[in-house]
Amino acid sequence: MRSILLFIFFSLPAILLAQDKYTISGTITSAKTGETLIGASVRIKSSSTGTTSNEYGFYSLSLQKGSYTIEFSAIGLGLKSQQVELNRNLTINISLEEETRELETVVVKTTGRRSITNPQMGMERLTMAETKNIPMLFGERDVLKTIQLLPGIKSAGEGSSGFYVRGGAADQNLIMLDEATVYNASHLLGFFSTFNSDAIKDVTVYKGGMPAQYGGRLSSVLDIRMNEGNNQDYDVSGGIGLISTKLNVEGPIQKGKSSFLASGRRTYVDMFLKLSKDSAINKNQLYFYDLNTKLNYQLGKKDRLYLSGYFGRDKLGVGETFALQWGNGTGTVRWNHIFSSKLFSNTSFIYSNYDYKITIRSGSNDFDIFSQIRDVNLKQEFQWYAGSRNTLRFGANAIYHTIRPGEITATSTSYINTSNRQRRYSMENAIYASNTFKASDKVNLTYGARLTGFSVLGKGDYFALDTAGNVIDTFSYKSGEIVKTYLNLEPRVALSYVFNPSVSIKASYVRNVQNLHLVSNSTTGSPTDKWVASTNIIKPEVSDQVSLGWYKNLSQNKYELTVEAYYKTMQNQVDYRTGANVFINSDAIESQLLFGKGRAYGIEWLLRKQTGKLSGWFSYTLSKTERKIDGINNNNWYNARQDRTHDVAIVGSYQLNKKWNFSANWIYYTGDAVTFPAGKYRVDNQVIFYYTERNGYRMPSYHRLDLGATLQLKKRKKYTSELAFSLYNAYGRENAYTIAFRESKDDPQKTEAVRTALFKYIPSVSYNFKF
Amino acid sequence: MQSSYKTYSSFFIGPLRRFLRLPLCHSLVRQQFYSTRNSGKFSASKAAVVLLITLSSIAVTGCQKVIDVDLNTAEKKYVVEAVITDQPNSCKVLLTQTKNFDENNAFNGVSGASITISDNNAAPVTLTETSAGVYEASGLKGLSGHTYRMTIIAGGQTFRATSTMPVFVPFDSLYISERTFFDKSNKYATVSYTDPAGRGNAYRYIQYVNGIKEKTIFVRDDDLTDGRKIERILFFFADDDEEEKKKLKTNDVVRVEMLGIDYPIYKYWYSLSQSSTGENQSATPGNPVTNIEGGALGYFSAHTLQSKTIVVP
Repeated sequence: MRSILLFIFFSLPAILLAQDKYTISGTITSAKTGETLIGASVRIKSSSTGTTSNEYGFYSLSLQKGSYTIEFSAIGLGLKSQQVELNRNLTINISLEEETRELETVVVKTTGRRSITNPQMGMERLTMAETKNIPMLFGERDVLKTIQLLPGIKSAGEGSSGFYVRGGAADQNLIMLDEATVYNASHLLGFFSTFNSDAIKDVTVYKGGMPAQYGGRLSSVLDIRMNEGNNQDYDVSGGIGLISTKLNVEGPIQKGKSSFLASGRRTYVDMFLKLSKDSAINKNQLYFYDLNTKLNYQLGKKDRLYLSGYFGRDKLGVGETFALQWGNGTGTVRWNHIFSSKLFSNTSFIYSNYDYKITIRSGSNDFDIFSQIRDVNLKQEFQWYAGSRNTLRFGANAIYHTIRPGEITATSTSYINTSNRQRRYSMENAIYASNTFKASDKVNLTYGARLTGFSVLGKGDYFALDTAGNVIDTFSYKSGEIVKTYLNLEPRVALSYVFNPSVSIKASYVRNVQNLHLVSNSTTGSPTDKWVASTNIIKPEVSDQVSLGWYKNLSQNKYELTVEAYYKTMQNQVDYRTGANVFINSDAIESQLLFGKGRAYGIEWLLRKQTGKLSGWFSYTLSKTERKIDGINNNNWYNARQDRTHDVAIVGSYQLNKKWNFSANWIYYTGDAVTFPAGKYRVDNQVIFYYTERNGYRMPSYHRLDLGATLQLKKRKKYTSELAFSLYNAYGRENAYTIAFRESKDDPQKTEAVRTALFKYIPSVSYNFKF
Repeated sequence: MQSSYKTYSSFFIGPLRRFLRLPLCHSLVRQQFYSTRNSGKFSASKAAVVLLITLSSIAVTGCQKVIDVDLNTAEKKYVVEAVITDQPNSCKVLLTQTKNFDENNAFNGVSGASITISDNNAAPVTLTETSAGVYEASGLKGLSGHTYRMTIIAGGQTFRATSTMPVFVPFDSLYISERTFFDKSNKYATVSYTDPAGRGNAYRYIQYVNGIKEKTIFVRDDDLTDGRKIERILFFFADDDEEEKKKLKTNDVVRVEMLGIDYPIYKYWYSLSQSSTGENQSATPGNPVTNIEGGALGYFSAHTLQSKTIVVP
């Protein structure tokens, strides 16, 4: 590591001494909406020299004095070229036109989406336009379900928005909405994600080779950016679907300078319940809603301010007896400042909150349970386009976490005692730096590191445990006192070698550290799963991943082929003890946990066609994921639940004519590794099952075909509308959701296995409009 | 706490799905058709309910089918069910063995074991085999606060366990409560007692309806209810097709046994109910946390035992 820092240090003079170079910089936006474009390409015509815009649409390119034709382009938008005479630093702000929706040009024409030369690997980007036609359960567009169709990203189960990346667990994904961590990204017990597609601009997922600015989770980074709001014109769009209605309103506050966006979504079936005269029905609740809002202001030429907020909530209620509600709230204030054509700065202040509340009113044991995790987060980042060969990114980040593990409030007539678990406080600090170095025309290198310090803070009691998990000693800390600090250095290195403009290989190594752990007692994930921070006993999770990839563009960039292989090890993994109690009434949550390690490896293939009437991709992953936990499976390695040998997704969309688009996807994967009984016995005149090994069996293979069709309705002036049809699980495969074992109802002398399947042919229709 | 959360989630989901009593593997369209036909009149609220059910109850029900699963076989293990209570002649040990999944459910007792139990380090009493695999010690009666040690020697293996009989907590009363969930009113047995101050008390209740044991495992600690007067409603659920048959009806005779158990036995029953009953919904399946050393399954429980009976009004 030291050598890398030294390398950065010694290469600086070389950067600073570069002669006779001038810089072109600016912001790339969409002409129609004024939205800044992420990852738009800036390229010198017929050369490999170029760059891409950053997450705020800013780019900077340093070149020798001379005249150039520069081409600007972005996915789904037209190409624009500009002639420049470079003899001084230039600012060129570019607006790209949307391709007109004439039949000939409906067909997307783009230069490759993923860079052959950039050393970044394990990354996928999706724009919302691409996800639009993919058929989904209940016709509800969902980014988290769309990314599950990519190689290396696996669904957490039927209809689930949860996902596993390269053998990681569901809590090892850093899910961020405008930089704010989203702690529970699901609605309705996991069937829908918290991300309302209408409000989202861009989704980038990193499966490996995470850039140094990201940290805090082991397996992946999902960076979701909200739309900023149209600063050119007012736009109202919406939709009525089987499950929810949506409305999105955006427009300029001051044309071209500032804009607002408000986007809401709510499920509405429960509204009908209210119509019932039966009080047993009309008092029940089942709904969720999301509200995304954003404001942005251009303050002069060099500054831009963004304010964004998200608030979403789920509510389930049975009369006045039982209620469960949960939700996330996030807020982000960001300030972009362009110090010079070469130095871009972003400062973010972020707030993030997740909480749930259970209310029980059944007569004698009435109480509420409340639990919360809350972050206050400050980030400063600089991007320094130091020269034509070096682009540096460095910054710092400080997060203060407050966790309220559980607070029980009983009513005065209840026989439950009011009690509170101790709040847990921690501080997560990081500094990072990385440089993307263009060593030659063929070799590009990104190297950097992230240094994280995680401090567990008082006030509170911390414990010493024996091997059986019993508390043997208690240590009390005062407010603000440091219980324990974990310091970790996370090196990030990536290299690309370009054989020719359409073929390259890349290699990378990344270490990630995770200090917040989700302890979940259920296989499907539940809103009441608990986030716990590292303590003196719970050590930071650490993963090391090496990956190697091969990238090829075929037939003039019509097809892209990507093959990546990875090997990952994970330390200090957390698991529950058998029979552990999530709602334990003790501050020593560690007493319910076991620790161990994991390893995962695999190969991923992705063949994508993104031009022409027929577009889509074929993805295949061959992989293995194992765990070894002290106290489970006799301390032997065993298949993790999410270990799926084969995972295939075929996604296709066909634009028949101006009116009709047809789409289909087919998914196949090896069944999850599960624990089935090896025998049975009797206790108290009841059959109980006997288990000998963890995850020694497989669920049956899963496969499913979904179909979709979109009909563009007649255009009336500015008003456009469409009808979207979908059929989930079109051939009605009864995929096993669970397999349970029980005494046979027909013959109590026998035991039987019972398979439960969830969705079989789920048709849906939705109506979307825009004016 | 966990179990109470689970109980209440079942409240939400169970009645919802029972409301229309439909298997959920049908498509929405078919469900709506059914509901229209059954009610004779299609209403918006009914449609909404259909959707609600589909959305919420899919998590627990759906299309169920009995299937063949090729399960491994395992070496036989001994299973011990050993109890001593504060009632006379209550010391009893049942010794059986595990069987393969595809064998029948007749668990024959294992004869010829040597079993002793000692009270607070007193001289061990040897149990006599009264029928195959059933071992009893007549005249032995447990006392609160006493620790009992059990040793079993069977087939060349030795198993040991200890259990301490907790303080006697009087079972004050048993009555029937009525609760309405979603659309239906159901009757449930309710036990009332006062938990003594100081954490660590744990209880198990066994319910018999018209002489037949109801299978729900009711086990509670006093983590959240320490020192309180408790009115515990014994909520239980049945599968759709058995619900009507199983719910409490007027004139049913309900008997409830209340067991005062020690904490390791609470853990045993709690983990058994969470992970060993064959349901595969939440926790990872596993064997319950036993208090028997030496590699046997089962438990040794020294507990207080009281019983009350009521006729459902």
